[in-house]
Amino acid sequence: MKELAGRLTALDPDAGAAVRVIAYFDRLAESRAGLEALVRGAAVLAGVPARLMDADRRVHVRVETDGTRRESDLPPDPAWPSAPLTPDGAPALWLERDGQAEPSVVDAVILERAAGVIRLVLDRTRGRAPADDPALVETVLDGTAPEAARLHAARGLGLDLAAPARVLAPLDGRPRIVPAHLDAEPPVGRVGVGPAVAVLDLPRSWSEARVALRFTAEGTAQDPGPGVVHADELGGIALLAGLVAPGAEPPPDVQALESAAAAAPWLLATLHAVASTVSLRAAAAEITVHHSTLQERLTHAEHLLGWPLRTPQGRFRLGLALTMRRLTRT
Amino acid sequence: MTQAPPPFDPELAAALELIKDVISPGLTMDEIADVRQGAGIQMLADLDLTVDGFFEVEDRAVPGPEGAPEISLLICRPAAPAGAESRPVIYHVHGGGLILGNNRVGVDVALAWAKELDAVVVSVEYRLAPEHPYPAQIEDVYAGLEWTAKHAGEFGGDPQRIVVAGASAGGGLSAALALLTRDRGGPELIGQVLLCPMLDDRNDTPSSHQMAGLGVWDRTANETGWTALLGERWGRPDVPAYAAPARAGDLSGLPPAFLDVGSAETFRDEVVAYASRIWQVGGVAELHVWPGGFHGFDGFAPQAALSQVCRAAQLAWLRRLLSQ
Repeated sequence: MKELAGRLTALDPDAGAAVRVIAYFDRLAESRAGLEALVRGAAVLAGVPARLMDADRRVHVRVETDGTRRESDLPPDPAWPSAPLTPDGAPALWLERDGQAEPSVVDAVILERAAGVIRLVLDRTRGRAPADDPALVETVLDGTAPEAARLHAARGLGLDLAAPARVLAPLDGRPRIVPAHLDAEPPVGRVGVGPAVAVLDLPRSWSEARVALRFTAEGTAQDPGPGVVHADELGGIALLAGLVAPGAEPPPDVQALESAAAAAPWLLATLHAVASTVSLRAAAAEITVHHSTLQERLTHAEHLLGWPLRTPQGRFRLGLALTMRRLTRT
Repeated sequence: MTQAPPPFDPELAAALELIKDVISPGLTMDEIADVRQGAGIQMLADLDLTVDGFFEVEDRAVPGPEGAPEISLLICRPAAPAGAESRPVIYHVHGGGLILGNNRVGVDVALAWAKELDAVVVSVEYRLAPEHPYPAQIEDVYAGLEWTAKHAGEFGGDPQRIVVAGASAGGGLSAALALLTRDRGGPELIGQVLLCPMLDDRNDTPSSHQMAGLGVWDRTANETGWTALLGERWGRPDVPAYAAPARAGDLSGLPPAFLDVGSAETFRDEVVAYASRIWQVGGVAELHVWPGGFHGFDGFAPQAALSQVCRAAQLAWLRRLLSQ
């Protein structure tokens, strides 16, 4: 350990240093240190600035190696070593160490121990993360619950009652309420994103998020389409959701798509590219085929579907059919 | 009955986990030689004295007390040309329990102030106990001050604006120097910065009992330091004030004092008492007791939040003193 004056400066990456890191954070935990002290510990022990960003709880702490707190306008670099606060969660604690293929053992120990203690402190001081407390989330999203009860639950989730929030509807999982101004962590997987609304309007954001979810797709060859759909961006298309019930008899154009897809495995991905890009050249690039190949495929598809695909009307009909197909499946 | 000690500040408690291999609470006479060779003092002294080129650094051998060897002064002055006025001088006395250290130890704190205040730092080396018992230390420190006041112009320093500053044993020697210059009519100091100073050989305050075996420099180490200085005399009624300033009967007529100390350290009560006695005779003092601070915490863990506040208070006091 390379200390100046037995002082807390950067540690050498050896096993002894890892043991000291563990003792350091254990002691912080025992004496109930606050968030800033924990982030400072990570920065001082690693010898690089450290930052904690927990979007759900609106916590943002950045500390330099000399222990001073200083915010930065720059977003975290995905290449920095980082640790989530929940297993499989988004990165939340970062060590601003550039140009390294993988974190050193000491960095990994610092991140693991610091994130573990930070999680406990956050649970103690800020309440549990919204996603972790289904009962409170359910109350906030229940439009029939009394306003006072919904506001109380929102406070319990750590929401700022004066700021807008939105609801995320994941395909597999419970609703999540997030502050509207935080776009730092884009949702992953299949998610419908509700509009940003006042806290008391969150039931509406939730219902619109669920509608948006139905417009998502797996993003595979057999189910092409976007994984994340914002209710705000659907416009009048959202009305289709009321007309096409999942599991019901598909409209004729969707049936035509299904039978065509059964005849030609490339068909759905190709048609999605045509419907979602600005030109046939862009569509060809998207699916990495030659422009002439795309032309041949379209001729074949027009034959199978029975309507033109290279006119504005035909492309519109195709877009509708692809969208309705997603609605019949979700 | 010994009461439970105040808890350490959380960050400082964690810092102790890291430094406990280098520095332990207690220290006995037979361990002095080892500690002098050990990593702790070496690292304390292993500093960039130029502070990234801000200071020009010179080691100067100057006359010691009459009949004693020369002493070494470390002179660090800003490399940039001075303005119209000569610079204030921070006369630094190092710590180390009277038995350890050299004029590099802890001088980084004084250099940090001097960088902010455009001041010169002169750090004095004194002979260590037990090889050199009292009064070798205070006489060396006094001789260094006399030379500094007389020769300040050679390095752009203002002999009318000398502040003495030191931590731990250096704080005790600084307080003793303020007493000695008052009584001998020596070079006048405009202020004394006494950081967790070692003031009282009696080692019998509640805090000295409370903190036994804890933190840095507990009552065992303290007994070692005072025994090394005073031999069999320590704790007896005839210990002179220039050895242990808490023994001084009269604290009037001293330059303004800045004192600080941690609430979780051996010296807490003797420092608080010293500040109170300065006020009781109409003197000027500013006292800070940092909650949960162990001895010398701002030097060992300068990054901790409490250390940052503590350093800022020291600098703010010096800034006010020098702008008067």
